[in-house]
Amino acid sequence: MSPGEDLVRVDRLVKSFGNTRAVRAASFSVAAGEIHALCGHNGAGKSTVVKMLSGQEAPDDGAILIGDQVVDLRSRRVAQRNGVALVDQELSVVPSLTVAENLMLGDLRARWINRPRAAGRRLRTLLDSVGLAHVELDRPLGELGIGERQLIEIARALGQDARLVILDEPTATLSDVESAYVYEAIRNVAATGCAVLFVSHRLGEVLDLCDKVTVMRDGAVVATTPVAELTLDSLIVQMLGEAPLRLGRRTAADVEGAEVLTVSGLSVPGRVRDFSIALRAGRVYALAGQLGSGASDVLRAIAGLLPSASAELTVDGTAVRLGHPAGAIRAGIAFVSNDRKAEGLFLRRPVSWNLLATRLPQVTRLGVLDPRRWSEALAVLLDLCGLDRKRTTHAVGSLSGGNQQKVFVGRCLGRDDVRVLLLDDPTRGVDVGGRAAIHALLRDATDRGMAVLFSSTELEELGDLADVVVTMHQGEVVRRHEGDTADTVLLREMTHGASTALVEERP
Amino acid sequence: MRSRSLRRPETLVPLSSVAIMVVAFALIPAYTDSAIAPFDVYNTFQIFARLGLLALALGLTMIAGEFDLSVVGTYALGGMLAVQTGQEHWVYGLLAALAAGAVIGLVQGGVIAGLKLPSMPVTLATYITLLGLTSALSGGLTKTYSNASVTLWVDQTVLTFFSPRSLLTLGLFLLAAVVLSFTRWGRELRAIGGDRRASQVAGVRVDRLIVGTFMLSGMLSALGGSLLSFSLGSANPDPGVQPLIVAAAAALLGGLSLAGGRGNALGLLGGIMAVALLAEIVTVAALPGYVTQLFFAGLLGVIVVIDAPDLHRALVRQRTRLRPEGNPTSMLSRKRELS
Repeated sequence: MSPGEDLVRVDRLVKSFGNTRAVRAASFSVAAGEIHALCGHNGAGKSTVVKMLSGQEAPDDGAILIGDQVVDLRSRRVAQRNGVALVDQELSVVPSLTVAENLMLGDLRARWINRPRAAGRRLRTLLDSVGLAHVELDRPLGELGIGERQLIEIARALGQDARLVILDEPTATLSDVESAYVYEAIRNVAATGCAVLFVSHRLGEVLDLCDKVTVMRDGAVVATTPVAELTLDSLIVQMLGEAPLRLGRRTAADVEGAEVLTVSGLSVPGRVRDFSIALRAGRVYALAGQLGSGASDVLRAIAGLLPSASAELTVDGTAVRLGHPAGAIRAGIAFVSNDRKAEGLFLRRPVSWNLLATRLPQVTRLGVLDPRRWSEALAVLLDLCGLDRKRTTHAVGSLSGGNQQKVFVGRCLGRDDVRVLLLDDPTRGVDVGGRAAIHALLRDATDRGMAVLFSSTELEELGDLADVVVTMHQGEVVRRHEGDTADTVLLREMTHGASTALVEERP
Repeated sequence: MRSRSLRRPETLVPLSSVAIMVVAFALIPAYTDSAIAPFDVYNTFQIFARLGLLALALGLTMIAGEFDLSVVGTYALGGMLAVQTGQEHWVYGLLAALAAGAVIGLVQGGVIAGLKLPSMPVTLATYITLLGLTSALSGGLTKTYSNASVTLWVDQTVLTFFSPRSLLTLGLFLLAAVVLSFTRWGRELRAIGGDRRASQVAGVRVDRLIVGTFMLSGMLSALGGSLLSFSLGSANPDPGVQPLIVAAAAALLGGLSLAGGRGNALGLLGGIMAVALLAEIVTVAALPGYVTQLFFAGLLGVIVVIDAPDLHRALVRQRTRLRPEGNPTSMLSRKRELS
């Protein structure tokens, strides 16, 4: 099949879950050799389309055509046999297997007998292509970090000689350097005549990487547009139907509150060296660092989650012992993890339950839930977070990623006993609208006298939200920035540290 | 690299269990009058052969993230079928037992995979059903096996330490080790135990694997039961719960995890050998039965603690507290200084 011809065609796909119509008559096509983006607000139906294309859900109506043949993708296996490879939205590698075993998992070409030597060279090249030259093939995957695991899943999909590779938010957990490797690898795969369907919330990368963009809204396809005709703003308008509210950047001359939290000499063996910071009430501080820079470890250490950490820590002048999460909470430190599914929410429990789980003393009387206090507290929080009242009884797991994150953040708000809010990558996997809402929540929290410290790698977020940005690289603070700093400076410090000579990275 | 792999629980746990038991075994002359005879080793392998296949059957389902309680039921039924249909020729008996094991596994695996049920209640029901079925087959009586030449053959001494029965069991363990490590089937079995959703997304046919694993587990248990019946010259309709508890303990001592995905057949072999050594020590030293249980409990306690994630965390915390400046003094020498 020559490039330019339509390789994959989605024809009026329909899918309902119960009473909700997740996808209504969605049609688009992807040509061979084309990198095609699928964009949309959370809940627009992208993931459902991906599930149908990859054999995880059967469409209620409509057809999927691959190479002019109508295919019935009953299972992942059948989809793979039809040449569809997938990087799932959720990390789908097995920690108890080795790197090589994960790369071969589910591969149709894998023989009955493993021949690691024969496959070794191919797997090695594959790993190198996503920037994992330093990872040995026989290491158990469980010893690697989240970013490296994600890269291995991407390598697995790209290495399957598929006709269509679907990547559902592949870079959500990756740093910019790691993402750059992934873009390069995707371009190489597309150059071999493979069709690529790329789902992402990072609109910048969509515009840089992709050839065409299909935008979905409320289960229907809004438009398919060549990327040359799009700008960031026009893309956002397509997604949201209107230009979203973007908060103006706060000036650094704002109220200077009292010191709430001080950290000095924070060290985590092998992760962070001698980190110090003082947070003032009413201000937002950011730790800007790629994966492995130690930014996330600093937050976890302050929250008491790293037993090996050592530091002098005070909240409102009182010393706090490190390494005890319960002690940190008592001192008024609230932590929002970057993994809301494993370390945050009770996914099967209703929204109300999740929002109030951490404030039981306020909604109970003599140890028994007081329904009146419960519903009052709930109403306040729902308004604060902008969540739909009708959905309070729904399980949190059924909400979109953005709304889940709102619940997670909202749980720490509206409380007098929380002095410091720590957030590790607070808008991971959250769409533009949800991101603006979470930023507004954080602003609101600081207005009430909290100090906020968050980590992020996204320049846009750092610029929009933070009063003070501290860049980190390889476990050490590079520099502290107040007021406006050029994005290029931040990015360079995050990727190269303090060295003034700009090292040329592989694109 | 090697020290890192030694520290993994699936290696560390079976190694320490076997090491403890070998030391205890080697010390037999210290607390009895008798020296260790080759017969003691032979006997240890006989005990291993009696329970090995049961532990292997259970262990394979544990690695796949399931738990097959019915193995003992299949073990009893297999033993009974082997005696009742194998009176003319042992081959008929063995085939009948294996076929029954396969059918039981097929039905259980089909129900568990097809209806997405947890394996515990399903296999518990099967276990009880099979015990009843075995009793019904035999009228609740122990049946004797009249073909004495088979009985003599399976337990004859081979190479001083072994019998055909223990060699066959050992062979199956080695086969299982090779299959688990070096075939696609083994890799996918460990994958579905490690993370079922991820395996499904990766394109592993999870349902088929579960059915296959339960069939294999049924056949191994039935084979184990048949070999035992041939060896004893009789089949008992009720083996009791002891074999199941011993097999589960052996699996845990072998570094397997109830959560699934962890462990390998060689570790499992270590676990069951530790159990066999313990039983042999108790026999040789003529200790009362409760000593076995107490010792067992102690050993399991030690293993569970070695395996505990919180212990590692506590050790790390202690270590950093003792040497805040990255002092190269090792844990051990530091401990010695303190004591």
